[in-house]
Amino acid sequence: MSGEAEGPPWPTWPDGFVLTDEDRRALLVLSALRTITPRRLIDLAAERATAAAVLAHVRGGRAGSDGDRRFARSLDPNALAARAEASGARFVTWGSPEYPSQLEQIHDPPAALYVIGAPLPDVTRAVAIVGARRCTALGREQAADLGSALALAGVTVVSGAARGIDAAAHEGALSAGRATVGVLGCGVDVAYDPGGRDLLRRIGASGTIVSEFAPGTPPEPRNFPARNRIVAGLCRATVAVEGAAGSGSLITAEHALEFGREVFAVPGSVTSPLAHVPLQLIRDGAGMIRGSEDLLHDLGLELDAQAVREDLSDAEVRGLGALTGPTLPERVAATLGIGLPEAVAVLMELELRGFVRSVGGRYEATLKGAAASAR
Amino acid sequence: MYGRVNGVTVVGVRGHLVVVEAYIGRGLPSLTLTGLPGAAVQDARDRIRPAVENARLEWPLRRVVVNLSPGNLRKDGPGLDLPVAMGVLSASAQVRSAVLAGWVFAGELSLRGELVSTPGILSAAVAAARAGSRGIVVPSANAPEAALVEDLEVVGAPTLGDVVSFFRGAWTPSPPVDDRPSGDGRHEVDLSEVRGQAQARRALEIAAAGGHNVLLVGSPGAGKTMLARRLATILPTMSRPEALEVTQLHSVAGVLHGGLVRERPFRSPHHSVSAAALLGGGAGYLRPGEVSLAHHGVLFLDEFTEFRRDAVEGLRQPLEDGRVVVTRMAATATFPARFTLVAATNPCPCGFAGDPVRRCRCRDDRLQGYAAKLSGPLLDRVDIHLTVPRLTKRELLDEAHAESSSSVRQRVEEARGRQRRRYATLGPICNAQLPGPLVRRESRMSQEARSMLAAAVDRHGLTGRGFDRVLKVARTIADLAGIDRVMPEQVVEALAYRASTPATELERVG
Repeated sequence: MSGEAEGPPWPTWPDGFVLTDEDRRALLVLSALRTITPRRLIDLAAERATAAAVLAHVRGGRAGSDGDRRFARSLDPNALAARAEASGARFVTWGSPEYPSQLEQIHDPPAALYVIGAPLPDVTRAVAIVGARRCTALGREQAADLGSALALAGVTVVSGAARGIDAAAHEGALSAGRATVGVLGCGVDVAYDPGGRDLLRRIGASGTIVSEFAPGTPPEPRNFPARNRIVAGLCRATVAVEGAAGSGSLITAEHALEFGREVFAVPGSVTSPLAHVPLQLIRDGAGMIRGSEDLLHDLGLELDAQAVREDLSDAEVRGLGALTGPTLPERVAATLGIGLPEAVAVLMELELRGFVRSVGGRYEATLKGAAASAR
Repeated sequence: MYGRVNGVTVVGVRGHLVVVEAYIGRGLPSLTLTGLPGAAVQDARDRIRPAVENARLEWPLRRVVVNLSPGNLRKDGPGLDLPVAMGVLSASAQVRSAVLAGWVFAGELSLRGELVSTPGILSAAVAAARAGSRGIVVPSANAPEAALVEDLEVVGAPTLGDVVSFFRGAWTPSPPVDDRPSGDGRHEVDLSEVRGQAQARRALEIAAAGGHNVLLVGSPGAGKTMLARRLATILPTMSRPEALEVTQLHSVAGVLHGGLVRERPFRSPHHSVSAAALLGGGAGYLRPGEVSLAHHGVLFLDEFTEFRRDAVEGLRQPLEDGRVVVTRMAATATFPARFTLVAATNPCPCGFAGDPVRRCRCRDDRLQGYAAKLSGPLLDRVDIHLTVPRLTKRELLDEAHAESSSSVRQRVEEARGRQRRRYATLGPICNAQLPGPLVRRESRMSQEARSMLAAAVDRHGLTGRGFDRVLKVARTIADLAGIDRVMPEQVVEALAYRASTPATELERVG
């Protein structure tokens, strides 16, 4: 350790790993190989010094699986480059000016990234929001609220562009009219699902889409832990909204801690399986935030736009007040002393305005509704 | 040696008079049937001789030819046993042909000469009356249904021997007895037995009042089946013509027991049902399917997503036209099938999405596939989508009173009356059956209701069809309240029963 004056305590890319065009082409091929993980690639790089030499090594059959050796021999770097270009992606390599400097400080930094859209933000202006794909409606509202608040405070929201919390965070930022960054666990030209395609298009239109995987790489489960280290690595802070035990959000937050970045978590009920990750993180010392106000305060940020206030009628206030957790409409009718049809009408009016949501035949206040009735 | 009597064959639900001619000529003892007899009629050949002999009558030991006319109509079903036997008895002069004139015969024979209960007797009796016949002779088990036809003498006979005795003046039939409870339709279940589920009860009332189809979404044990069964009990009491139609269909299908069906039918076929059994059909003899057995009543499809695709697709025609046309190689039949559809399904494959206590454990791709199944064109015809919560014990105990079916039915009948008067020029339709182009004109919306709905279109992304469905339901809610113009309150309540798109349904997974 004493010999190394600076740099992180883990191996990184040797100087001059990607110097020539041949190295760039070699790296295109290497990014498409399955058994050559970033970790393995770094080891090989330390041995072989340049990307071209590493590829020759692989093609020679001295590293990687048999399948990859054959694949590496058949792959045409020009075709890969053309495919990346067709999807509008740039190939950003280690050491190039566009390579985000914050990734130089993480372990197993990607040798190269495929980037679509705007340049990646500075680490001080990027915050990650992560959480479960299968989340609750409340979690989605929280993520969207955090996303739009961060965006309005001038911070770029980074997330994984998956469904659930990720999508809500991106949507929050987009609804504030700001750019956001989506980091993918597949090729930049691949969408997780049809709904995801539309989200990616809108993220890419104003913000950035990033992946270290070659175009055409399918979203395999093993890609996601790797994706998560980039999400955490790009940001000064990571916020976990909802996550079940053993989920990827915990991995992302752990990466963030490892890289010396801040971690925040939105707590939930101790009985909720989706509160497992946030509560675990809070126990481990993550900052507990109750919402966007707490987060902005802890990050030393301020909203640069006035939050829009909505006013409620008396009937609506009473309707909201009758909701204690998921409530049957007949309970609301009884509490308000009105008939069921009238109670359903009040609840629907509230739902139309976004203060109430219906869940499996019951009604409950949304985040917005809870905030409004607290005022 | 010639005899001639009248029989009936049933195609679909319609009876057609068939002239049965018998000729006894020289030759080895045999029975030949001509005139396009179907498989079931051919089948009767070997049965008729033992039946005749066991009735202590004589079978002519000569060559017997029986012809069924008109020759271009395929005759099927077992009801022709009796006329064929009577034709032979007439030809062999065991019954005087003069006394048989003007009578129609229908019924299946057993080997011992008994007349056994036969499907389609009501249709036969209707055909006989239409042809101006004097009377009809049927198995005594079917006499109550035949007796529903006015201006027709009905002889219900237990055996072939009794039929012959009747025409010899040696036997008198007892008048047909209908052992069903008379008067108002009686159901075995009642809405008052449902505990809690106020919103579901309200939705059923709206569905009954406007004739709307319903989709019930809920976890196992939420009470979907219980609710669906009770929809039939709050529909308006059937008129006599309606009851006759239902009785006729049940008779043709062979599921009728006794006389007039007074209570609205409730049919709940299992999800493994074939398209033919659901919609009608069968090889040769065309039987009405479950959709027709549910005519004027409720067709309940539990586990809706599990039904075979071809069966579900086939529901579109009856939902649209109120009838099914079944075409087979041999024949085409039209069966009436105007029913209220109640489809029920779990919110997700595991059944617990949205449940406050149990967590849904479905994989994403399965959820998406499930949502796609719930968005077909069929569900475009379902106006009321309702999520039925699984109640906790406390919520069940909370419930104070529950209204009985008969008092709800009263409101439903009043609402239907308003629709009848409003749509007097359009025919006998209710709100659910309003044709698309007329919905917006006939629903009589107030200006405020209109702008309310416009706002909802923006917020909820309602489609054109979804818009019309909300409109129809709002119209029905106004009819229940006795209001002429639809006000915003009714629109807002109707929105609670709108179809959530599969995407939002997925988002509710928690």
